[in-house]
Amino acid sequence: MTLALRYAGVSLGYQGRAVLTDVNLELRAGQRLALVGPNGAGKSTLIKSMLGLVPVLRGEAEVLGGERGRAGYVPQTDTLDADFPISVRRVVMMGRYRRIGWWRPARTEDRRAVAEALDRVGLADRASHRFGTLSGGQRQRVLLARAIAAEPRLLLLDEPFNGVDVVSQEAIVRVLRELSADGAALVVSTHDFAVARELADLVCLLNGRQWAVGPPAETLTAGPLRRTYGGSVVDLDNDMVLIEP
Amino acid sequence: MIAPFELHFMSRALTEIVLLALICGPVSVFVYARRLSFVSDALTHTVFPGVVIGFVAGGLEGVFIGALVAALLTAVVLTVLTRGARVSDDTATAVVLTAMFSIGVVLVSRRSSYTSDLTSFLFGRLLTVTPHQIAETAVLAAVVLVALLIGARAMIFRTFDPAGAAAAGYRIAWIDLWLNVIVALVVVAAVRAVGTILVVALLIVPAAAARMVTDRLAVMAVLGTVLIAGVGYAGLLLSWTASLSYGVALTSASSVVLLLVAAYLLLIPVRLIRDRRRGSPPPVPERNSAHELVG
Repeated sequence: MTLALRYAGVSLGYQGRAVLTDVNLELRAGQRLALVGPNGAGKSTLIKSMLGLVPVLRGEAEVLGGERGRAGYVPQTDTLDADFPISVRRVVMMGRYRRIGWWRPARTEDRRAVAEALDRVGLADRASHRFGTLSGGQRQRVLLARAIAAEPRLLLLDEPFNGVDVVSQEAIVRVLRELSADGAALVVSTHDFAVARELADLVCLLNGRQWAVGPPAETLTAGPLRRTYGGSVVDLDNDMVLIEP
Repeated sequence: MIAPFELHFMSRALTEIVLLALICGPVSVFVYARRLSFVSDALTHTVFPGVVIGFVAGGLEGVFIGALVAALLTAVVLTVLTRGARVSDDTATAVVLTAMFSIGVVLVSRRSSYTSDLTSFLFGRLLTVTPHQIAETAVLAAVVLVALLIGARAMIFRTFDPAGAAAAGYRIAWIDLWLNVIVALVVVAAVRAVGTILVVALLIVPAAAARMVTDRLAVMAVLGTVLIAGVGYAGLLLSWTASLSYGVALTSASSVVLLLVAAYLLLIPVRLIRDRRRGSPPPVPERNSAHELVG
Protein backbone atom coordinates (compact mmCIF):
# COMPACT_ATOMS: atom_id res chain seq x y z
CA MET A 1 0.00 0.00 0.00
CA THR A 2 1.18 3.50 -0.81
CA LEU A 3 1.71 5.91 2.05
CA ALA A 4 -0.30 9.11 1.71
CA LEU A 5 1.29 10.71 4.76
CA ARG A 6 4.38 10.03 6.79
CA TYR A 7 5.23 12.35 9.68
CA ALA A 8 8.17 11.39 11.89
CA GLY A 9 9.01 13.53 14.94
CA VAL A 10 7.60 16.64 13.28
CA SER A 11 7.38 20.09 14.87
CA LEU A 12 5.42 22.81 13.09
CA GLY A 13 5.23 26.54 13.62
CA TYR A 14 5.65 30.04 12.35
CA GLN A 15 8.85 32.11 12.39
CA GLY A 16 10.76 29.43 14.24
CA ARG A 17 8.22 29.17 17.07
CA ALA A 18 6.63 25.73 17.36
CA VAL A 19 2.86 25.54 17.83
CA LEU A 20 2.60 21.76 17.42
CA THR A 21 5.25 19.18 18.30
CA ASP A 22 5.89 15.41 18.37
CA VAL A 23 3.71 14.53 15.38
CA ASN A 24 4.21 10.92 14.34
CA LEU A 25 1.71 9.68 11.77
CA GLU A 26 1.37 7.21 8.96
CA LEU A 27 -1.69 7.27 6.73
CA ARG A 28 -2.22 4.81 3.89
CA ALA A 29 -4.38 5.24 0.79
CA GLY A 30 -8.04 4.61 1.63
CA GLN A 31 -7.61 5.36 5.36
CA ARG A 32 -9.58 8.03 7.24
CA LEU A 33 -7.79 10.04 9.91
CA ALA A 34 -9.57 12.32 12.38
CA LEU A 35 -7.61 15.12 14.06
CA VAL A 36 -9.26 15.70 17.42
CA GLY A 37 -8.47 18.40 19.94
CA PRO A 38 -9.73 21.65 21.46
CA ASN A 39 -9.70 25.00 19.61
CA GLY A 40 -6.14 26.20 19.08
CA ALA A 41 -4.77 22.67 19.50
CA GLY A 42 -2.93 22.83 16.17
CA LYS A 43 -5.40 20.89 13.99
CA SER A 44 -5.52 23.54 11.27
CA THR A 45 -1.76 24.02 11.51
CA LEU A 46 -1.22 20.32 10.88
CA ILE A 47 -3.58 20.36 7.88
CA LYS A 48 -1.88 23.48 6.49
CA SER A 49 1.51 21.79 6.85
CA MET A 50 0.21 18.94 4.67
CA LEU A 51 -0.55 21.57 2.02
CA GLY A 52 2.92 23.07 2.38
CA LEU A 53 1.55 26.31 3.86
CA VAL A 54 3.20 25.92 7.28
CA PRO A 55 6.91 25.14 7.52
CA VAL A 56 8.21 21.96 9.17
CA LEU A 57 10.66 23.09 11.89
CA ARG A 58 11.95 19.67 12.84
CA GLY A 59 11.49 16.07 11.82
CA GLU A 60 10.46 14.56 8.52
CA ALA A 61 7.14 15.13 6.78
CA GLU A 62 6.32 13.38 3.54
CA VAL A 63 3.05 14.04 1.67
CA LEU A 64 1.98 11.77 -1.21
CA GLY A 65 5.58 10.85 -1.88
CA GLY A 66 6.32 14.43 -2.94
CA GLU A 67 3.24 14.77 -5.19
CA ARG A 68 1.63 17.44 -3.03
CA GLY A 69 -0.36 18.74 -5.99
CA ARG A 70 -2.71 15.78 -5.63
CA ALA A 71 -3.85 16.89 -2.17
CA GLY A 72 -7.29 18.53 -2.02
CA TYR A 73 -8.43 21.01 0.62
CA VAL A 74 -11.90 21.80 1.97
CA PRO A 75 -11.91 25.02 4.04
CA GLN A 76 -14.56 25.97 6.58
CA THR A 77 -17.41 27.60 4.73
CA ASP A 78 -17.80 30.45 7.21
CA THR A 79 -14.36 31.75 6.24
CA LEU A 80 -15.81 32.67 2.83
CA ASP A 81 -17.71 35.81 1.82
CA ALA A 82 -21.38 34.80 1.39
CA ASP A 83 -22.08 37.97 -0.60
CA PHE A 84 -19.53 37.10 -3.30
CA PRO A 85 -21.26 37.07 -6.70
CA ILE A 86 -20.33 33.57 -7.82
CA SER A 87 -22.38 30.54 -8.87
CA VAL A 88 -22.15 27.12 -7.27
CA ARG A 89 -20.92 25.68 -10.59
CA ARG A 90 -18.05 28.13 -10.78
CA VAL A 91 -16.96 27.41 -7.22
CA VAL A 92 -16.75 23.70 -8.06
CA MET A 93 -14.93 24.50 -11.30
CA MET A 94 -12.14 26.06 -9.18
CA GLY A 95 -11.19 22.49 -8.34
CA ARG A 96 -10.24 22.07 -11.99
CA TYR A 97 -8.34 25.38 -12.40
CA ARG A 98 -4.87 23.89 -11.93
CA ARG A 99 -5.60 21.34 -14.67
CA ILE A 100 -7.18 23.86 -17.02
CA GLY A 101 -4.35 26.37 -16.66
CA TRP A 102 -4.35 30.16 -16.50
CA TRP A 103 -6.52 31.22 -19.41
CA ARG A 104 -7.55 28.25 -21.56
CA PRO A 105 -11.35 27.66 -21.50
CA ALA A 106 -12.71 24.67 -19.58
CA ARG A 107 -13.00 21.47 -21.61
CA THR A 108 -15.88 19.02 -21.77
CA GLU A 109 -14.16 16.71 -19.30
CA ASP A 110 -13.81 19.58 -16.81
CA ARG A 111 -17.51 20.38 -17.06
CA ARG A 112 -18.35 16.70 -16.70
CA ALA A 113 -16.16 16.40 -13.58
CA VAL A 114 -17.92 19.43 -12.08
CA ALA A 115 -21.39 18.01 -12.82
CA GLU A 116 -20.43 14.62 -11.37
CA ALA A 117 -18.96 16.14 -8.22
CA LEU A 118 -22.11 18.21 -7.63
CA ASP A 119 -24.26 15.17 -8.24
CA ARG A 120 -22.21 13.22 -5.73
CA VAL A 121 -22.90 15.70 -2.92
CA GLY A 122 -26.57 15.85 -3.94
CA LEU A 123 -26.58 19.46 -5.20
CA ALA A 124 -26.82 18.97 -8.97
CA ASP A 125 -30.01 21.04 -9.04
CA ARG A 126 -28.28 24.02 -7.39
CA ALA A 127 -25.50 24.46 -9.96
CA SER A 128 -26.65 27.84 -11.20
CA HIS A 129 -27.60 29.25 -7.79
CA ARG A 130 -25.42 31.87 -6.19
CA PHE A 131 -23.09 30.23 -3.64
CA GLY A 132 -24.08 32.61 -0.85
CA THR A 133 -27.79 31.80 -1.12
CA LEU A 134 -27.25 28.19 0.02
CA SER A 135 -27.41 27.09 3.66
CA GLY A 136 -24.19 26.53 5.62
CA GLY A 137 -24.39 22.78 5.18
CA GLN A 138 -25.03 23.04 1.46
CA ARG A 139 -22.11 25.44 1.07
CA GLN A 140 -19.87 22.96 2.86
CA ARG A 141 -21.02 20.28 0.41
CA VAL A 142 -20.21 22.58 -2.52
CA LEU A 143 -16.68 23.00 -1.17
CA LEU A 144 -16.43 19.22 -0.84
CA ALA A 145 -17.60 18.90 -4.47
CA ARG A 146 -14.87 21.35 -5.46
CA ALA A 147 -12.25 19.15 -3.80
CA ILE A 148 -13.72 16.02 -5.44
CA ALA A 149 -13.60 17.69 -8.88
CA ALA A 150 -9.81 17.96 -8.44
CA GLU A 151 -9.63 14.15 -8.10
CA PRO A 152 -7.38 14.23 -5.03
CA ARG A 153 -5.42 11.29 -3.63
CA LEU A 154 -5.37 12.96 -0.23
CA LEU A 155 -8.33 15.02 0.96
CA LEU A 156 -7.95 17.47 3.86
CA LEU A 157 -11.06 18.85 5.56
CA ASP A 158 -10.93 21.59 8.19
CA GLU A 159 -13.89 21.21 10.62
CA PRO A 160 -16.33 20.23 7.86
CA PHE A 161 -19.21 19.67 10.29
CA ASN A 162 -19.17 23.04 12.04
CA GLY A 163 -22.60 24.68 11.85
CA VAL A 164 -23.79 22.02 9.41
CA ASP A 165 -27.36 20.65 9.48
CA VAL A 166 -28.00 16.93 9.97
CA VAL A 167 -28.93 16.26 6.32
CA SER A 168 -25.70 17.82 5.09
CA GLN A 169 -23.63 16.06 7.76
CA GLU A 170 -25.00 12.69 6.65
CA ALA A 171 -24.38 13.53 3.00
CA ILE A 172 -20.79 14.56 3.76
CA VAL A 173 -20.07 11.43 5.82
CA ARG A 174 -21.50 9.20 3.06
CA VAL A 175 -19.40 10.89 0.34
CA LEU A 176 -16.25 10.71 2.48
CA ARG A 177 -16.76 6.96 2.96
CA GLU A 178 -17.20 6.50 -0.79
CA LEU A 179 -14.06 8.51 -1.53
CA SER A 180 -11.94 6.46 0.83
CA ALA A 181 -13.43 3.24 -0.60
CA ASP A 182 -12.18 4.53 -3.98
CA GLY A 183 -8.69 4.79 -2.50
CA ALA A 184 -8.38 8.41 -1.35
CA ALA A 185 -6.76 9.07 2.01
CA LEU A 186 -8.74 11.47 4.22
CA VAL A 187 -7.80 13.83 7.02
CA VAL A 188 -10.69 15.45 8.90
CA SER A 189 -10.26 17.86 11.80
CA THR A 190 -13.09 17.96 14.31
CA HIS A 191 -13.81 18.58 17.96
CA ASP A 192 -16.82 16.27 17.85
CA PHE A 193 -15.94 12.85 19.33
CA ALA A 194 -19.05 11.16 17.89
CA VAL A 195 -18.18 12.25 14.35
CA ALA A 196 -14.60 11.07 14.79
CA ARG A 197 -15.77 7.68 16.07
CA GLU A 198 -18.29 7.29 13.25
CA LEU A 199 -15.98 8.33 10.46
CA ALA A 200 -12.36 7.54 11.23
CA ASP A 201 -10.14 4.45 11.16
CA LEU A 202 -7.46 6.44 12.93
CA VAL A 203 -7.72 9.21 15.49
CA CYS A 204 -4.93 11.61 16.35
CA LEU A 205 -5.35 13.53 19.62
CA LEU A 206 -3.73 16.95 19.53
CA ASN A 207 -3.23 19.80 21.96
CA GLY A 208 0.03 21.64 21.35
CA ARG A 209 1.58 18.24 20.74
CA GLN A 210 0.40 14.86 19.59
CA TRP A 211 -0.91 12.99 22.65
CA ALA A 212 -2.10 9.78 21.04
CA VAL A 213 -2.70 8.15 17.70
CA GLY A 214 -4.57 4.94 16.93
CA PRO A 215 -7.98 3.42 16.24
CA PRO A 216 -10.95 5.24 17.84
CA ALA A 217 -11.49 2.39 20.30
CA GLU A 218 -8.03 3.03 21.78
CA THR A 219 -7.82 6.81 21.56
CA LEU A 220 -11.33 8.11 22.23
CA THR A 221 -11.27 6.72 25.74
CA ALA A 222 -11.10 8.37 29.13
CA GLY A 223 -7.33 8.10 29.66
CA PRO A 224 -5.98 9.59 26.42
CA LEU A 225 -8.74 12.21 26.30
CA ARG A 226 -7.97 13.34 29.86
CA ARG A 227 -4.29 13.62 29.03
CA THR A 228 -5.04 15.63 25.87
CA TYR A 229 -7.61 18.02 27.26
CA GLY A 230 -6.34 18.21 30.82
CA GLY A 231 -9.95 18.10 32.08
CA SER A 232 -12.25 15.46 33.43
CA VAL A 233 -14.03 13.03 31.18
CA VAL A 234 -17.41 11.48 31.84
CA ASP A 235 -18.22 8.15 30.25
CA LEU A 236 -21.90 8.15 29.20
CA ASP A 237 -22.79 4.78 27.73
CA ASN A 238 -19.42 4.46 26.06
CA ASP A 239 -19.80 8.01 24.71
CA MET A 240 -17.20 10.42 26.04
CA VAL A 241 -18.28 13.81 27.27
CA LEU A 242 -15.71 16.29 28.40
CA ILE A 243 -16.18 18.63 31.33
CA GLU A 244 -13.99 21.72 31.21
CA PRO A 245 -11.54 21.87 34.13
CA MET B 1 -27.43 64.79 -29.78
CA ILE B 2 -24.70 63.82 -32.25
CA ALA B 3 -23.77 67.21 -33.67
CA PRO B 4 -21.35 68.23 -30.86
CA PHE B 5 -19.37 65.03 -31.45
CA GLU B 6 -18.66 66.07 -35.05
CA LEU B 7 -16.16 68.46 -33.51
CA HIS B 8 -12.72 66.86 -33.23
CA PHE B 9 -12.10 67.61 -29.58
CA MET B 10 -15.48 66.19 -28.59
CA SER B 11 -15.11 62.98 -30.60
CA ARG B 12 -11.60 62.50 -29.22
CA ALA B 13 -12.87 62.94 -25.69
CA LEU B 14 -15.59 60.38 -26.34
CA THR B 15 -13.10 57.93 -27.87
CA GLU B 16 -10.87 58.29 -24.80
CA ILE B 17 -13.80 57.67 -22.45
CA VAL B 18 -14.93 54.59 -24.40
CA LEU B 19 -11.38 53.15 -24.30
CA LEU B 20 -11.26 53.77 -20.55
CA ALA B 21 -14.71 52.16 -20.19
CA LEU B 22 -13.40 48.97 -21.80
CA ILE B 23 -10.82 48.51 -19.04
CA CYS B 24 -12.42 50.26 -16.08
CA GLY B 25 -15.58 48.11 -16.33
CA PRO B 26 -13.84 44.73 -15.85
CA VAL B 27 -11.09 46.05 -13.52
CA SER B 28 -13.65 47.70 -11.24
CA VAL B 29 -15.21 44.25 -10.72
CA PHE B 30 -11.96 43.05 -9.14
CA VAL B 31 -11.51 46.28 -7.19
CA TYR B 32 -15.02 45.75 -5.84
CA ALA B 33 -14.64 42.03 -5.10
CA ARG B 34 -11.19 42.37 -3.48
CA ARG B 35 -12.38 45.49 -1.62
CA LEU B 36 -9.45 47.37 -3.04
CA SER B 37 -11.20 50.74 -3.14
CA PHE B 38 -8.67 52.25 -0.77
CA VAL B 39 -5.72 50.75 -2.65
CA SER B 40 -7.06 52.26 -5.88
CA ASP B 41 -7.47 55.57 -4.12
CA ALA B 42 -3.88 55.32 -2.91
CA LEU B 43 -2.63 54.54 -6.40
CA THR B 44 -4.35 57.59 -7.85
CA HIS B 45 -2.60 59.75 -5.25
CA THR B 46 0.82 58.13 -5.46
CA VAL B 47 0.82 58.59 -9.22
CA PHE B 48 0.65 62.33 -8.55
CA PRO B 49 4.36 62.95 -7.82
CA GLY B 50 5.19 60.84 -10.88
CA VAL B 51 2.92 63.01 -12.97
CA VAL B 52 4.55 66.18 -11.65
CA ILE B 53 8.12 64.94 -12.12
CA GLY B 54 7.24 63.73 -15.60
CA PHE B 55 5.71 67.09 -16.47
CA VAL B 56 8.68 69.07 -15.15
CA ALA B 57 11.16 66.85 -16.98
CA GLY B 58 9.39 66.31 -20.27
CA GLY B 59 6.28 68.46 -20.52
CA LEU B 60 2.89 66.87 -21.23
CA GLU B 61 4.48 63.85 -22.91
CA GLY B 62 6.63 63.20 -19.85
CA VAL B 63 3.53 62.85 -17.70
CA PHE B 64 2.85 59.40 -19.13
CA ILE B 65 6.25 57.92 -18.26
CA GLY B 66 6.31 59.63 -14.85
CA ALA B 67 2.88 58.25 -13.98
CA LEU B 68 3.77 54.78 -15.24
CA VAL B 69 6.95 54.55 -13.14
CA ALA B 70 5.24 55.88 -10.00
CA ALA B 71 2.24 53.58 -10.40
CA LEU B 72 4.26 50.41 -10.94
CA LEU B 73 6.51 51.30 -8.01
CA THR B 74 3.46 51.80 -5.78
CA ALA B 75 1.91 48.52 -6.92
CA VAL B 76 5.06 46.67 -5.85
CA VAL B 77 5.43 48.56 -2.56
CA LEU B 78 1.78 48.02 -1.59
CA THR B 79 1.98 44.30 -2.40
CA VAL B 80 5.12 43.87 -0.31
CA LEU B 81 3.82 45.92 2.63
CA THR B 82 0.47 44.15 2.87
CA ARG B 83 1.93 40.68 2.32
CA GLY B 84 1.41 38.25 5.18
CA ALA B 85 -0.61 40.94 6.97
CA ARG B 86 2.47 42.21 8.78
CA VAL B 87 0.97 45.67 8.62
CA SER B 88 -2.78 46.07 8.28
CA ASP B 89 -3.72 46.82 4.67
CA ASP B 90 -5.26 50.18 5.51
CA THR B 91 -2.36 51.48 7.60
CA ALA B 92 0.30 50.58 5.05
CA THR B 93 -1.77 52.02 2.24
CA ALA B 94 -2.48 55.25 4.09
CA VAL B 95 1.21 55.82 4.85
CA VAL B 96 2.23 55.31 1.23
CA LEU B 97 -0.66 57.46 -0.02
CA THR B 98 -0.02 60.49 2.15
CA ALA B 99 3.76 60.37 1.78
CA MET B 100 3.66 60.25 -2.01
CA PHE B 101 0.89 62.82 -2.36
CA SER B 102 2.70 65.38 -0.24
CA ILE B 103 5.85 64.89 -2.29
CA GLY B 104 3.73 65.67 -5.34
CA VAL B 105 2.34 68.83 -3.78
CA VAL B 106 5.82 70.02 -2.75
CA LEU B 107 7.11 69.45 -6.26
CA VAL B 108 4.22 71.18 -7.98
CA SER B 109 4.31 74.16 -5.64
CA ARG B 110 7.80 75.03 -6.88
CA ARG B 111 6.36 75.93 -10.24
CA SER B 112 5.03 79.38 -11.11
CA SER B 113 1.77 78.17 -12.64
CA TYR B 114 1.07 76.27 -9.45
CA THR B 115 -2.73 76.37 -9.23
CA SER B 116 -3.55 75.75 -12.89
CA ASP B 117 -1.13 72.82 -13.05
CA LEU B 118 -2.49 71.37 -9.84
CA THR B 119 -6.07 71.62 -11.08
CA SER B 120 -5.30 69.85 -14.33
CA PHE B 121 -3.43 67.04 -12.55
CA LEU B 122 -6.25 66.57 -10.08
CA PHE B 123 -9.19 66.87 -12.47
CA GLY B 124 -7.72 66.04 -15.86
CA ARG B 125 -8.13 67.59 -19.28
CA LEU B 126 -10.64 65.46 -21.09
CA LEU B 127 -11.33 67.94 -23.88
CA THR B 128 -7.69 68.46 -24.85
CA VAL B 129 -6.88 64.78 -25.35
CA THR B 130 -4.57 64.39 -28.36
CA PRO B 131 -4.57 61.56 -30.92
CA HIS B 132 -1.18 60.57 -29.49
CA GLN B 133 -2.69 60.22 -26.00
CA ILE B 134 -5.55 58.17 -27.41
CA ALA B 135 -3.02 55.84 -29.03
CA GLU B 136 -1.21 55.46 -25.68
CA THR B 137 -4.49 54.75 -23.91
CA ALA B 138 -5.37 52.15 -26.56
CA VAL B 139 -2.04 50.35 -26.06
CA LEU B 140 -2.45 50.38 -22.28
CA ALA B 141 -6.03 49.16 -22.62
CA ALA B 142 -4.88 46.23 -24.76
CA VAL B 143 -2.18 45.35 -22.21
CA VAL B 144 -4.66 45.54 -19.34
CA LEU B 145 -7.25 43.38 -21.13
CA VAL B 146 -4.67 40.69 -21.91
CA ALA B 147 -3.40 40.79 -18.32
CA LEU B 148 -6.98 40.44 -17.07
CA LEU B 149 -7.66 37.53 -19.39
CA ILE B 150 -4.57 35.68 -18.18
CA GLY B 151 -5.08 36.41 -14.50
CA ALA B 152 -8.87 36.43 -14.14
CA ARG B 153 -9.29 32.81 -13.10
CA ALA B 154 -6.57 32.90 -10.47
CA MET B 155 -7.68 36.32 -9.20
CA ILE B 156 -11.29 35.17 -8.78
CA PHE B 157 -10.15 32.05 -6.90
CA ARG B 158 -7.81 34.11 -4.68
CA THR B 159 -10.49 36.70 -3.99
CA PHE B 160 -13.17 34.20 -3.09
CA ASP B 161 -11.04 31.77 -1.10
CA PRO B 162 -7.42 32.78 -0.38
CA ALA B 163 -6.67 29.67 1.70
CA GLY B 164 -8.17 27.39 -0.94
CA ALA B 165 -6.22 29.12 -3.71
CA ALA B 166 -2.97 28.81 -1.76
CA ALA B 167 -3.77 25.15 -1.08
CA ALA B 168 -4.33 24.62 -4.81
CA GLY B 169 -0.77 25.84 -5.39
CA TYR B 170 -1.35 29.46 -6.37
CA ARG B 171 1.20 32.04 -5.16
CA ILE B 172 -1.05 34.59 -3.47
CA ALA B 173 1.53 37.39 -3.37
CA TRP B 174 2.14 37.15 -7.13
CA ILE B 175 -1.60 37.20 -7.87
CA ASP B 176 -1.98 40.29 -5.65
CA LEU B 177 0.90 41.98 -7.44
CA TRP B 178 -0.70 41.12 -10.77
CA LEU B 179 -3.96 42.86 -9.81
CA ASN B 180 -2.18 45.85 -8.24
CA VAL B 181 -0.19 46.32 -11.45
CA ILE B 182 -3.38 46.11 -13.52
CA VAL B 183 -5.02 48.78 -11.35
CA ALA B 184 -1.85 50.88 -11.63
CA LEU B 185 -1.94 50.67 -15.43
CA VAL B 186 -5.59 51.72 -15.49
CA VAL B 187 -4.78 54.71 -13.32
CA VAL B 188 -1.95 55.69 -15.68
CA ALA B 189 -4.23 55.30 -18.70
CA ALA B 190 -6.96 57.45 -17.19
CA VAL B 191 -5.05 60.04 -15.20
CA ARG B 192 -4.44 62.67 -17.90
CA ALA B 193 -8.00 62.60 -19.16
CA VAL B 194 -9.94 62.57 -15.91
CA GLY B 195 -7.30 63.46 -13.30
CA THR B 196 -6.03 61.65 -10.23
CA ILE B 197 -9.10 62.32 -8.11
CA LEU B 198 -11.74 61.24 -10.61
CA VAL B 199 -9.98 58.06 -11.76
CA VAL B 200 -10.96 56.44 -8.51
CA ALA B 201 -14.64 56.92 -9.33
CA LEU B 202 -14.19 54.98 -12.58
CA LEU B 203 -12.55 52.14 -10.62
CA ILE B 204 -15.11 51.83 -7.87
CA VAL B 205 -18.56 53.00 -8.93
CA PRO B 206 -19.20 50.91 -12.10
CA ALA B 207 -18.96 47.50 -10.41
CA ALA B 208 -20.77 48.69 -7.30
CA ALA B 209 -23.61 49.96 -9.49
CA ALA B 210 -23.68 46.80 -11.62
CA ARG B 211 -23.77 44.64 -8.47
CA MET B 212 -27.16 46.17 -7.72
CA VAL B 213 -28.72 44.45 -10.72
CA THR B 214 -26.73 41.23 -11.20
CA ASP B 215 -25.10 38.36 -9.29
CA ARG B 216 -22.66 37.46 -12.05
CA LEU B 217 -19.10 38.76 -12.32
CA ALA B 218 -19.01 38.69 -16.13
CA VAL B 219 -22.30 40.57 -16.39
CA MET B 220 -20.98 43.08 -13.83
CA ALA B 221 -17.95 43.72 -16.06
CA VAL B 222 -20.06 44.27 -19.17
CA LEU B 223 -22.61 46.45 -17.37
CA GLY B 224 -19.81 48.49 -15.82
CA THR B 225 -18.31 49.13 -19.24
CA VAL B 226 -21.66 50.09 -20.77
CA LEU B 227 -22.35 52.36 -17.82
CA ILE B 228 -19.06 54.28 -18.15
CA ALA B 229 -19.46 54.64 -21.91
CA GLY B 230 -23.05 55.81 -21.41
CA VAL B 231 -22.30 58.38 -18.74
CA GLY B 232 -19.22 59.38 -20.75
CA TYR B 233 -21.40 60.30 -23.71
CA ALA B 234 -24.08 61.92 -21.56
CA GLY B 235 -21.55 63.78 -19.42
CA LEU B 236 -19.78 65.30 -22.42
CA LEU B 237 -23.12 66.33 -23.88
CA LEU B 238 -24.18 67.79 -20.54
CA SER B 239 -21.07 69.92 -20.10
CA TRP B 240 -21.31 71.02 -23.75
CA THR B 241 -24.95 72.08 -23.35
CA ALA B 242 -24.35 73.66 -19.96
CA SER B 243 -21.51 75.85 -21.16
CA LEU B 244 -22.91 76.76 -24.59
CA SER B 245 -26.61 77.19 -23.87
CA TYR B 246 -26.54 78.27 -20.24
CA GLY B 247 -23.08 79.71 -19.79
CA VAL B 248 -22.32 77.41 -16.87
CA ALA B 249 -18.70 76.26 -16.76
CA LEU B 250 -19.11 72.57 -16.01
CA THR B 251 -15.89 70.58 -16.58
CA SER B 252 -16.54 67.51 -18.67
CA ALA B 253 -14.75 64.99 -16.42
CA SER B 254 -16.66 66.07 -13.35
CA SER B 255 -20.02 65.92 -15.16
CA VAL B 256 -19.14 62.37 -16.27
CA VAL B 257 -18.41 61.37 -12.70
CA LEU B 258 -21.50 63.16 -11.36
CA LEU B 259 -23.68 61.19 -13.76
CA LEU B 260 -21.89 57.97 -12.78
CA VAL B 261 -22.65 58.55 -9.11
CA ALA B 262 -26.24 59.51 -10.00
CA ALA B 263 -26.64 56.21 -11.87
CA TYR B 264 -25.34 54.39 -8.78
CA LEU B 265 -27.83 56.14 -6.51
CA LEU B 266 -30.70 55.41 -8.92
CA LEU B 267 -29.84 51.70 -8.86
CA ILE B 268 -29.90 51.36 -5.05
CA PRO B 269 -33.71 50.83 -4.96
CA VAL B 270 -33.31 48.06 -7.59
CA ARG B 271 -31.05 46.17 -5.20
CA LEU B 272 -33.44 46.67 -2.32
CA ILE B 273 -36.38 45.37 -4.36
CA ARG B 274 -34.35 42.35 -5.53
CA ASP B 275 -33.27 41.54 -1.98
CA ARG B 276 -36.81 41.79 -0.69
CA ARG B 277 -38.23 39.64 -3.47
CA ARG B 278 -35.63 36.94 -2.90
CA GLY B 279 -35.76 37.01 0.87
CA SER B 280 -32.74 36.20 2.99
CA PRO B 281 -31.38 32.61 2.89
CA PRO B 282 -32.88 30.22 5.47
CA PRO B 283 -31.04 30.31 8.80
CA VAL B 284 -28.72 27.39 9.51
CA PRO B 285 -30.14 25.19 12.27
CA GLU B 286 -27.96 25.17 15.38
CA ARG B 287 -26.49 21.90 16.49
CA ASN B 288 -26.63 21.20 20.17
CA SER B 289 -24.92 17.94 20.93
CA ALA B 290 -23.20 17.03 24.16
CA HIS B 291 -20.03 16.51 22.16
CA GLU B 292 -19.87 20.19 21.41
CA LEU B 293 -19.35 21.05 25.05
CA VAL B 294 -15.69 20.77 24.19
CA GLY B 295 -13.85 23.94 23.24
